Amino acid sequence: MEEFLQQLTNGLAVGGIYALIALGYTMVYGVLKLINFAHGDLFTYGAYLGLTLLTSLALTDRVGFALGVLVLVLMVMGLVAILGAMLERAAYRPLRESPRLSAVVSALGASIFLQNTLMLVYGARFQVYPDEILPAATLDVFGLYIPLMRVLIVLASVAMMVALYLFIQKTRIGTAIRAAAIDQSAARLMGIDVNRVILLVFLLGPALGGAAGLMVGLYYGQVNFTMGWVYGMKAFTAAILGGIGNIPGAMVGGLLLGVIEALGAAYVSIAWKDAIAFCVLILILIVRPTGLLGERVADKI
Amino acid sequence: MKKQLLTLVAAVGLALGGGMVQAADTVKIGLMAPLTGSWASEGQGMKKIVELLAEQQNAKGGVLGKKIEVVTEDDGGDARTASLAAQRLTTKGVATVVGTYGSAVTEASQNIYDEAGIPQIANGSTAIRLTEKGLKKFFRTAPRDDEQGRMAAQTIEKLGFKKVAILHDSSAYAKGLADEANALLKKKGTEVVFFDALTPKESDYTAILTKLKGAGPDVVLFTGYYPEAGLLLKQKKGMNWNVPFIGGDANNNADLIKIAGKAAEGFYFLSPPQPQDLDTADAKAFLTDYQKKYNELPPSIWAVLAGDGFRVMVAGIAGAKSTDATKIADYLHKDLKNFSGLSGPIAFDAKGDREGEVYRVYKVDADGKFVMQKL
Repeated sequence: MEEFLQQLTNGLAVGGIYALIALGYTMVYGVLKLINFAHGDLFTYGAYLGLTLLTSLALTDRVGFALGVLVLVLMVMGLVAILGAMLERAAYRPLRESPRLSAVVSALGASIFLQNTLMLVYGARFQVYPDEILPAATLDVFGLYIPLMRVLIVLASVAMMVALYLFIQKTRIGTAIRAAAIDQSAARLMGIDVNRVILLVFLLGPALGGAAGLMVGLYYGQVNFTMGWVYGMKAFTAAILGGIGNIPGAMVGGLLLGVIEALGAAYVSIAWKDAIAFCVLILILIVRPTGLLGERVADKI
Repeated sequence: MKKQLLTLVAAVGLALGGGMVQAADTVKIGLMAPLTGSWASEGQGMKKIVELLAEQQNAKGGVLGKKIEVVTEDDGGDARTASLAAQRLTTKGVATVVGTYGSAVTEASQNIYDEAGIPQIANGSTAIRLTEKGLKKFFRTAPRDDEQGRMAAQTIEKLGFKKVAILHDSSAYAKGLADEANALLKKKGTEVVFFDALTPKESDYTAILTKLKGAGPDVVLFTGYYPEAGLLLKQKKGMNWNVPFIGGDANNNADLIKIAGKAAEGFYFLSPPQPQDLDTADAKAFLTDYQKKYNELPPSIWAVLAGDGFRVMVAGIAGAKSTDATKIADYLHKDLKNFSGLSGPIAFDAKGDREGEVYRVYKVDADGKFVMQKL
């Protein structure tokens, strides 16, 4: 039982990261019906920009840990959001009227471009966050070991996801995004500037992805220019698992994927954990082809 | 007008002809290395070393009275990219090929070079079967996994551990080493309480560590690569679990310490000697030159072994007095004895494997230094 609970918390921590990244995939898909393959690389940029800002500005030394990290998160989210908007401008907007396949190829090209740019700027070696930034406190809950940072990561992910959900559901801009997701031309007739909605989606998704990258960097310490690929694939899977285009679906899908992986590793085989996760994905898609929460088509995005 | 045209044609002809003569005037040696991808730091080191050695050799007059030209192709640390790189190199007229790092990557290129009649010398590929295929023109400066497996089992025994957990990453190299050590340990009656693989390139291995801890080993043998080893050590420390880890030779990389930080203290790994532990006069002189040129040390011994591969091939061409593949291979198999490599004496057996003991045991000290152990 103890091991089960331990693995559950392990899974939730990883799943929270998957969910944050999955939101970026699902939002872009909801509005544009495009899989933004460069999203995983924006996540990597978040991790690298966070490292650069952290070491060059020495924020945590100046204003203390909590405030420093908060400012850092906001800066990284802002920068990666701008990067996402630039990506949309350069790689997707010119192809808006082209067949969907062209945009997918453009996305793959953008991914390769972003990844290699990062390698040329920072070098191919692993980059490492400074060691003593985070408090290494561990919570001892009934013999379960849970590092404080893990709890904070899950809480931060959930907070960001809830904020996003409320933004999409409760505000006028959120309503415009939902309208554009349902029918772009009808939305345009209603006076919604669809191009601005798309730009906004490309600001929000990458901002969350960048925040996820920063959290991975801060917690695991090691960043690498190819890391976006694995996380991107997993998050993409999570988005499909929950029902792509659906925001709560991405959250549920991410957390679920993390837990399935951890439990699969614990009770079946470590080497087969990805295979187990993908088998579950296939089973769910057979039973529910639109993903777990994919039925609310009208609520897309 | 006509005369002018003729002169022009003659001039172009001369230029072309001159160009061709020049092209045949160099001996081309191919280098296949992971310049991009997750082993890019190794590949970049290989390229730097081989280029520096070629420069030095050319300053001494090259080989067979010709300059050496290094033709580099990127294998991306990936089998598919490697087979394309190998095909490109075979069309570029290289006499021999140095490389590459990963076993699976080398394997994808072996037959391509063999069919093209180009001798290949791998620098980081330790999987056993690479030299068990009867390829006459394949060599390696790296030791074999079974030698490392023997050393791993021996070390575990000498350090007095009784319950061993073995973890690999499903790559050809790591699984080969894990299987070998597993078989030897069982034969000696040491209990192997855990045997499984992790997925490389992830960031979170706590699920695996939790399971490992449940098996209750008194030592963990991890046969994979340094990025994962670094994270395992760090997350293991975060769990307050103090079991010692022993790693294979893919952990001999300074980045391990950067990733694991203080958690790396007490980590044992097996490896051929590190660049800075190389003690021959040749090696010391070369390392000084390398530092002067690039302002850093080579990333690992594997890059240095690529340099040795290059030197061996140059010696082979010089010894065979020809760039004929069969003659070079024969020379390396039979006549090259006690060649003074950067990593110690080099000779090859009939399979193309390096002869002699190469491995050492290292331990990471409190300052993150790799200290060679005497066991």
